[in-house]
Amino acid sequence: MSVIAFERQQSAGLWSETELNTIVAALSAAIVPGNGRGWETAMTEKGDAQFYLLGPLPDQACELCVSRIGGRYILEDGLGRLLFEHRSLALVALHAKAAVRSTRWSLAARAVLLWCAIRNTIHDKVEPLLTESEELLVQLTPQLAAFA
Amino acid sequence: MKRGKNQEIFAEKLPRMVAPEARQLRKQAGDWLKQRRADAGLSQADLAARLGLKYYTFISQVENGFSRVPTETMAAWATELGLEPAAFAKHLLLYYEPELHRLLFGAKK
Repeated sequence: MSVIAFERQQSAGLWSETELNTIVAALSAAIVPGNGRGWETAMTEKGDAQFYLLGPLPDQACELCVSRIGGRYILEDGLGRLLFEHRSLALVALHAKAAVRSTRWSLAARAVLLWCAIRNTIHDKVEPLLTESEELLVQLTPQLAAFA
Repeated sequence: MKRGKNQEIFAEKLPRMVAPEARQLRKQAGDWLKQRRADAGLSQADLAARLGLKYYTFISQVENGFSRVPTETMAAWATELGLEPAAFAKHLLLYYEPELHRLLFGAKK
């Protein structure tokens, strides 16, 4: 008879190596050495494990937090908004990965929006001024030539 | 509440930063909040329930110094801790925005 060993799910205390591996692997793109982002672990007063994904320097504020409460994994952002919860850490880690990606996309979207706004302002305000001065120059040039 | 800053398993695998001032101040704010909560006789779970949070994990997040008390919920935190909201916000500003606190109120901590 062969016995298959299932890994026992941790329900309290520090993170197991397997759990940490799962979370860090999912967030590996965010935790690139040199970008100032990092991660730390801590415990609640009841001894439930928490994992914090920290933002870049100098603030290094929490961007995402994964907690384990009674065998259930909770994903929150740095403002305490509940993003996802499930008994499967793999699923929670996937959501964490997506949450980091969406934060990045929202930053990229903001940059594009800013660029569009600047271009629009140039188009609306600066270009008419240039056209106006060009027209003025066209009108004045013959008169200036006559004086000369 | 333990702060397992470096779990040995991963200590050498990924780089960690020296805690800058902002982090130290957030941790000090967290310690102060933890003391105020203890004075009010509340557990993290009690405070979370009173603030309408499903889980108490965010309270721990703030007390461990990884996050701030959001401005929009400062009044509720103050009320639940039995503190005057303006004084509570002013005190947290000392940790969260020390320069702004200095400009507004003059003295440094």
